[in-house]
Amino acid sequence: MAGLAKYIQWLWMLSVALQVLVCSLLFFKGYYRRLPVFTAYVLSNVCQAAALYVTYNLYGFRTGSAIAIGWSTQGATQLLRILATTEVIRLILRPYRGIWGLGWRVLVGAFAAVFSVTLIDSGRGLQWTIGLADRGFHLAFGIALVACLSLVHYYSVPIHPVYKALLGGFCFYSCTAVIANTVGRILYLKGYGDFGMGWQLVTMGAYMGVLLVWLVALRTPLPEPPRQLTFPEAERTYWEMSPRINERLRALNERLDNFWNSEATQS
Amino acid sequence: MSLSLIIFGTIVLALLVLLGLVLRGNGQPAGSYALPKGSEEAGRAHTNFLPQMRQALKPDDEEFLARSGVRGLRERVTRERRRVALSYLTALREEFEELMHVSRVIATLSPQIGVAQEFERLRLRLSFLWRYRIILLSLRAGFAPLPRLCDLSNLLSGYSVRLEETMREMGERAALVAEMVSSPDRRRIHRI
Repeated sequence: MAGLAKYIQWLWMLSVALQVLVCSLLFFKGYYRRLPVFTAYVLSNVCQAAALYVTYNLYGFRTGSAIAIGWSTQGATQLLRILATTEVIRLILRPYRGIWGLGWRVLVGAFAAVFSVTLIDSGRGLQWTIGLADRGFHLAFGIALVACLSLVHYYSVPIHPVYKALLGGFCFYSCTAVIANTVGRILYLKGYGDFGMGWQLVTMGAYMGVLLVWLVALRTPLPEPPRQLTFPEAERTYWEMSPRINERLRALNERLDNFWNSEATQS
Repeated sequence: MSLSLIIFGTIVLALLVLLGLVLRGNGQPAGSYALPKGSEEAGRAHTNFLPQMRQALKPDDEEFLARSGVRGLRERVTRERRRVALSYLTALREEFEELMHVSRVIATLSPQIGVAQEFERLRLRLSFLWRYRIILLSLRAGFAPLPRLCDLSNLLSGYSVRLEETMREMGERAALVAEMVSSPDRRRIHRI
């Protein structure tokens, strides 16, 4: 593991051990059946750690090959992270088909919009672009997740504590990664040297914290999968009443608007 | 401190605060499918007081008090009228929220909802809250003179009557659906 500080290596091993524990819990309790993508995500992290261990031993920490392998495996885990989050939100919104239809659109829309904006100014070389893309990914992920959870909260849909822990962990880790990337970029631009070790320390520390929370949360049983129910009457009621409610709200807004304008002109 | 750190730090802080807010609670539905308690009665109660509200906010009384020259009485009446107007505005807000709650219950139970409808409602709600707060602040600060409070009364009364009709209708429809959810036989529910 040439080029990696001793404490980082210890943290890494501890992190892998925690991931293996979470994985074991998922298999031991049979949660992998209910959370297959989430299980695949945790497994992919273990595999990525193993791949990086071999890579760093062969090529060293700061070589081009190590960076290429590191970021390409990171792409796969990021994709699984998105899918795992979608899986958990899908489980929460399973009985509410209508809200789920709205939720996934919010998730995709917010992610695409924020990620596109963060990629502006990315044409300054590969290293710069990768750093920017990583920060952009985590920022877009965090914003999209919080937007989707706000929607769930708005409709008063209950969230089981285990799912809260999983989603909260994902969001917290992404927030930490955004800050770590920003600080690293500033230090790099100001010529304070490489923030690689610091970045590893901060992100790995945050991820270990998240793994601990998941370990504790996954000890409690997962909720029974709710039955998906459809109410034809409710759908009919919705399509009949929803436009009328909006019409009323619009009328009220116009009235309030006129009230304000008339007052302004009278003054 | 770098500008980018301030910007991203603020965004992250806001995200974490929002995350904490939306994940608060015990995992149980806040209002479940229950309809607002006595929504019909509440709407009716407010409209029952409409004649009194109109009377209380009429500028004629104020003019009479000004003419009669009783010192201090006019100011006291003005204060009381403003208080009444504020209470009425608060009651209207409560009715508005009840209407929103009914719409959310219907949307939650419906297997399909209109994305445009929901976003439009969200936009209208934000717009209403913004206007409501401006009027509320101007009333509290005493910027709106009493003749204009009378205009407000007319505005609110018109809306309140319509709201009561809507609430009653919504209440009946949503109660039917909510009853189906809690009904033991659930004959009309189709499991997938």
